[in-house]
Amino acid sequence: MWEVGNPVQELWQDQPVEGIQMSVEELRRRAGKFERTIYWRNVREYVGSLLAVGPLTYFFATTHDVLSRVSFGLFIAAMLWIVVQLHRKGSSKKLPSGVDTLTGLRFYRAELERQLEVLTSVWSWYLAPLVPGLVVYTIGQAVKVPRLRSWAALALMNLVVAAAFVGIWKMNQKAARCLQRMIEELNGAD
Amino acid sequence: MSAIQSIPTVAAFGSGQDELYQQAVQTYGAALERLARAYESDADLRRDLLQEMHVALWRSFRGFDGRCSLRTWFYRVSHNVGASHVLRQRRLRDQALVGLEELENLPDSTNALEAADRSHRLERLLNLIQRLKPMDRHVILSYLEGFDAASIAEITGLSAGNVATKIHRIKSVLARQFQQGGSGSCGK
Repeated sequence: MWEVGNPVQELWQDQPVEGIQMSVEELRRRAGKFERTIYWRNVREYVGSLLAVGPLTYFFATTHDVLSRVSFGLFIAAMLWIVVQLHRKGSSKKLPSGVDTLTGLRFYRAELERQLEVLTSVWSWYLAPLVPGLVVYTIGQAVKVPRLRSWAALALMNLVVAAAFVGIWKMNQKAARCLQRMIEELNGAD
Repeated sequence: MSAIQSIPTVAAFGSGQDELYQQAVQTYGAALERLARAYESDADLRRDLLQEMHVALWRSFRGFDGRCSLRTWFYRVSHNVGASHVLRQRRLRDQALVGLEELENLPDSTNALEAADRSHRLERLLNLIQRLKPMDRHVILSYLEGFDAASIAEITGLSAGNVATKIHRIKSVLARQFQQGGSGSCGK
């Protein structure tokens, strides 16, 4: 221990504290609330996925047009693929209790790097899987209604989707840059 | 004076989760509040962080195996919650964190009148700590809490040499920032 009487240490240690305490019952309640929050968050994610897949499954089952049916099948496969990837890549791990700070910071850095990879590869696991369904759907509709007005509407729809894709990609790139800065800050901790 | 009192060690192992938590908070509760203050400046967020630290500590004692002292365990868990909080908040607040090396090169902004005032000095100390990267923040807090180099090395996982270097820098920074006004001199 350092010598007693270091003024800055004294300044630090003598600062007033409120003496805040929590009862064990309160801790149990809060810990339980935290676990319930995680549980319901997972439930919401899965229900949300089902809600997205549900209408597609309905269209897949009821449409008589072959190309449309193929496109809905591709959309369903893409959605399922995205959900699996989201679960596999996006699930956060829990830091084991009582590890030293260096191990803790390395853990956080690895988590940030994993999240960074999820963001930077959003094209390959989130956007690209939706493209085949979109292409087949466009071709199917263009063949089904071979009129200039219909093709223009399809072109407009694809432009809107492309803009949404670029928007999603840019948002992810922005978040990735923030993560990259945090990773750089954590680098050299040891 | 020193914040470090008795150091419950392996003897505490074997106690229940609730007893370990109560023992730890009874001994180090004030230090926990100081740590929360060093990791969060906003009062409301700090209260949340402090509660998060309490819950994390209580949960962690379920897995306490007595391989390190209760004190080491306590500080490891608390600092890890603090570091996690800083990283979470870092996404919301775009303020870059710096290392001790950068702080050493900062100009001394001491105002003599402010330096004489204890609360201003404490505020300035907190501002300085809150700008640091998690590991450097942890080392300076451990130093301020009165830990020796071996204890800091055990809690942080850094080598003793690395801790010594950081302590040297901390003393240099604190001496430069708090040397005015006589009573503010940094003890060596």
